[in-house]
Amino acid sequence: MMSTVYGTDQENLLEIRNLSIRYRTRRGELRAVEDATLLVKPGESVAIIGESGSGKTTLISAIVRMLPLNARLATGTMRYRTAADSLVHLDTATEREMRPLRWKEIVMVFQASQSSFNPVSRIYTQFLDTARAHNPAARTSDVMDRSRKLLELVALDGEKVLHSFPHELSGGMKQRTLIALGLLLEPRLIILDEPTTALDLLTQKKILKILRSLRDQYRFGMVFVTHDLGIVSRLADRVVVMYAGSIVEDAPWEEFYQDPKHPYSQGLIRAVPKLTTAIEKLYSIPGTTPDLVEKIQGCPFAPRCPFRMEICTRENPPLLPVALGRSAACHLLKEDSSESTP
Amino acid sequence: MIGKGSLPVFIAGKLLKVVFTVWIVTTLIFFLIRLMPSNPIERYIQSLVVQYGMTYEESSARASALFAIDLEANLFSQYLDYLSGAIRLDFGTSFLSPGVPVTAIIAARLPWTLFTVGMGLLFAFALGIVLGALAAYRRDAWWEPVVSGTSSFLSAVPDFLIAIFLILLFGVFTWGGRGSIVPIFQLRGNYGPGVTPGWNWAFLRSVWGHGFVPILTYFFSQIGIWVLLMKGSTTSCLNSDYATIARARGLRPEKILRSYIGRNAMLPIATEFAMRLGFILGGSLIIEQLFVYQGLGLELLKATSNRDYPLMQAIFLVMTVAIVLSNLFAELLYGVLDPRIRQEGKGPHG
Repeated sequence: MMSTVYGTDQENLLEIRNLSIRYRTRRGELRAVEDATLLVKPGESVAIIGESGSGKTTLISAIVRMLPLNARLATGTMRYRTAADSLVHLDTATEREMRPLRWKEIVMVFQASQSSFNPVSRIYTQFLDTARAHNPAARTSDVMDRSRKLLELVALDGEKVLHSFPHELSGGMKQRTLIALGLLLEPRLIILDEPTTALDLLTQKKILKILRSLRDQYRFGMVFVTHDLGIVSRLADRVVVMYAGSIVEDAPWEEFYQDPKHPYSQGLIRAVPKLTTAIEKLYSIPGTTPDLVEKIQGCPFAPRCPFRMEICTRENPPLLPVALGRSAACHLLKEDSSESTP
Repeated sequence: MIGKGSLPVFIAGKLLKVVFTVWIVTTLIFFLIRLMPSNPIERYIQSLVVQYGMTYEESSARASALFAIDLEANLFSQYLDYLSGAIRLDFGTSFLSPGVPVTAIIAARLPWTLFTVGMGLLFAFALGIVLGALAAYRRDAWWEPVVSGTSSFLSAVPDFLIAIFLILLFGVFTWGGRGSIVPIFQLRGNYGPGVTPGWNWAFLRSVWGHGFVPILTYFFSQIGIWVLLMKGSTTSCLNSDYATIARARGLRPEKILRSYIGRNAMLPIATEFAMRLGFILGGSLIIEQLFVYQGLGLELLKATSNRDYPLMQAIFLVMTVAIVLSNLFAELLYGVLDPRIRQEGKGPHG
């Protein structure tokens, strides 16, 4: 499976290159995302992990250009290949150009999907609204039939849910309804921001199972943000680690889990509780994330890094390949690779 | 949703509550106005003494001949009399205009107040919600602080000051020797002296000419509140997840503003509007006095200063009923507009 994703020369579905995003704040410009490069192939699912405030949500919101008003794209490009095989420059697209892409090509499911539906109208209205926004001629009966099928696909009683008001559905049902709504227009890229937060464990498991089977069935690309490595292992082909607005490691999940390269990634993996280790021995990365308003000299992780070297406080390491299909941003790895390959 | 069978029960229960509330308030009014110092006969005697220089004896003899009421009768039996009349919608005759039924006086005055205060409320509401929604939607526009600031200012100014200002602006100030905008005599009364009431052009024009500035007063005294309420309500809906997701779903901005944000922002506003409908009748005392506008408020003022008990009682009752009914209307309206409330009503009925 993994080799089909990585071994072929498939064209990228989404190409984000050297993207920087800034927020205007009272204290000055906040560097939410710094020089981020992220490539997603059709059908591939990528997990973005990292601490709160590391720029994960900002990065994925930028893809559909739904950033807060005080944000701006400072540098970089974002290109998306549509179903009709034309390239769209997402970074320069206007709101008018973005509208047809949203939900038809790229579905973005924001966090807190518990209140994603208009509380005063029934679910079917919101399916119809979505279909009509992209195809004014859509026939009601066709949309209803398709909606019902999709709801059944996520293990819901289609007819009943369609005629319900949002408040009549439970949290898990709402999340599944939103996923069904996400598939309504057969998008090629689905972006999810913490798809299972605020749900209980059993519901989480159910949602993950549904997402997996849907992905296998419809072959859409997926980018999702999570704090939970368990979800990553169930859903992701590839992991992108973000720290203080920068991507510090990008690797296939299996390899990443076995052998995380970046010291921050190693800390993340060690911080995961395992059945075989005592909870008291659980690792936690010392220190806190840096203030993103202030100019960071050197590697942003340096103050917390156990392997800090002299160069780390001076120069910010770029994201460079460290193995086939893997890259990381660390001075340590650069030296390693130069030593091991004489 | 409320089941089909339980809806009449639900309405009946509500109506019973309305009747009960009205009864309590009427009873209170009945006793309170009799607790006020002086009484109608005293007032009449006093006015005769002061105006015509009659002696007290002469005046009181004339008063007792004129008034067909017995204020010495047992208070409780007076109350029962009043109540039994009220149930039959017979509120007696006015003390001050002997022989004229109170209901006739109210019927003559009510439409004028409804017309002016109602128009003011309607215009203020319509323009207020549009401006409020726009001010929230275009928070970055240059005119937004102007709209919000003016609204705050207007909502803080007492309505009688607005009335006085408008009287000065329209009727007193002269503009470059061309005279005032509205002839000052139009700022008094309901219509001009030369016209005959009825569906004729001259009358309607006169009514509009006289009503215009009072309506403007009610409009300005209320618009600020509507703008601010709607702006607040819209702002909270703008930041809602469903509005964000609607945008992510590629819906047109107009559609989002109308069906997603506007619809939800209107929920509390519609209720507020329905409740304020009831205050149309009560909120006009000072303004009607300033414009000598012969409406219900002015009539109440006259009735009170003369202690015209039956007329006072009836006008207060009309105001009470209006407020209680509009509250009921607001409650029912909320149920219609918000499915979540409808759900709650379902509880006890299954």
